[in-house]
Amino acid sequence: MIDIRNLSVTYGRMTSEGRGSQAAAVKNVSMTIRKGQFSALAGESGSGKSTVLMAIPGLLPPGTAVSGEILLDGKNLLALPENDLNRIRWRRIAIVPQGAMNSFTPVLTVGHHVEEVLSVHLGLSRKEALERIPSLFDLAGLDGELARRYPNELSGGQKQRAAIALALACSPDYLLCDEPTTALDVITQQGIIATLKNLVEKKGLGLLLISHDLPLAASVADRLHILKDGELVEEGDPAEITARPRNPHTRALVKALLDLEEGS
Amino acid sequence: MTTLLDIRNLSAVFPGRRRREPVRALSGLTLTLERGESLSVIGESGSGKTTLMRCILGHVLPSEGSITLFGQDTASADGPEMTALRRRCAMVSQDPYGSLPPTLTVLEAAMEPWLLVRGKHDEKEGEERARNLLGELGLRDEAILSSRVRLSLSGGQRQRVAIARALILDPELLLCDEPTSMQDASTRGEIIEILAKRQRSGMSMIFVTHDLFLARKAAPRGIVLHKGTVVEEGFCRDILSAPKHPYTRALVAALPRLGKLPGQESCKPETN
Repeated sequence: MIDIRNLSVTYGRMTSEGRGSQAAAVKNVSMTIRKGQFSALAGESGSGKSTVLMAIPGLLPPGTAVSGEILLDGKNLLALPENDLNRIRWRRIAIVPQGAMNSFTPVLTVGHHVEEVLSVHLGLSRKEALERIPSLFDLAGLDGELARRYPNELSGGQKQRAAIALALACSPDYLLCDEPTTALDVITQQGIIATLKNLVEKKGLGLLLISHDLPLAASVADRLHILKDGELVEEGDPAEITARPRNPHTRALVKALLDLEEGS
Repeated sequence: MTTLLDIRNLSAVFPGRRRREPVRALSGLTLTLERGESLSVIGESGSGKTTLMRCILGHVLPSEGSITLFGQDTASADGPEMTALRRRCAMVSQDPYGSLPPTLTVLEAAMEPWLLVRGKHDEKEGEERARNLLGELGLRDEAILSSRVRLSLSGGQRQRVAIARALILDPELLLCDEPTSMQDASTRGEIIEILAKRQRSGMSMIFVTHDLFLARKAAPRGIVLHKGTVVEEGFCRDILSAPKHPYTRALVAALPRLGKLPGQESCKPETN
């Protein structure tokens, strides 16, 4: 279990006048990510969703003030030295960062990216790595043959699936996905969400989906969290939140979305 | 009613780059729009919706078919005539990062079309209109109005500046290409309402979106574009409730809905 307790994150930043200022991105957030559970974190842009995600594997930029605890099976990740964190990244907790589908190196095949991860993090030889690729691609819902292609030869949906295959390379227990379906067509989007759901149900992964799309997050998650201006304003069963939102922000949001769906 | 836009059998083919096949972005598209009427164009990436907009404004020349805009055939319109036609239209493009002048302030950017068309002497009225429009769109803060577009403006704010630019000359036909894609759910409703107000006072609108719910809210009538052809047309509410074409059916089935969550009904997102 990843148990986030009272997480607060404040970015140090420079204003346009060159003075330093502080920006609290996440305030006192507590939530858990369990194996075999599909959790979702929804919120508007700038609400702090990505900050929460990046804080978990310790990937926030230097100079960021982080307080609280992030416990992985009881061990506080925030207190771990970089070397220990490196053994947890990829192998225990993997991420599909925002825009992953557009961050492949254009001159390397998609399979090469996976080989590199397997070689660096698990010390596998090229031959051993190549043997693993078909099953990894299969998990992500991709034909293994596509590993030989270059990123520009894949469609957006295929690239996003390749990014998921990459994140799964070292068989992590937890997968954190930041807006994995944004900018994809709804039919493609639905297929990718089904793949993620399958990883939770069949492989028992603990999954965190970050999305600004509340209907999407609510339709797939076992547990939904809503972030507003860095604070967790709602948490629970998606159907329950939709039926009885407690927070005024969530209430307005749910109403706006339901009105649009009902056509009033 | 008079016909504002009449498109007959429109095809647009782009030559293939290198040795690739030519790309058929639109084929055999026919539609008419009466004055004061609006239409939603529903389609996903690659469906040809942006090419359709560009054809209407004469930025892309049709390979076949004809477009009659305000009673004039666009293929036979010369440069000045086409400019005159374009001035009666306005477009909100898909990408608010590429379509706004980066060095202008928010207020200047909103006023720019007015100044270009009306000239400097009407500057005061232009500023007043720009302020009113931006205010209506939720951009009132003087600090935002005087800051440069390039700095410190979110995608959603840029889209709203683009909408203000499009509305400032009171267009007869507004072409919107995914104009609210970067807005939060609550703001999106407000923007559609602002556009609806304009429609009630006579503006026609073509609203391009991949979101069927939004399409229904923007205009009663809609067409579904898939790979450059119209696969379905009719009232948006009927398209949503009883889609006929297999593609539209898949599109409607894939829509995540807050009102139909797995826990509420036995309506799980299908996996296929």
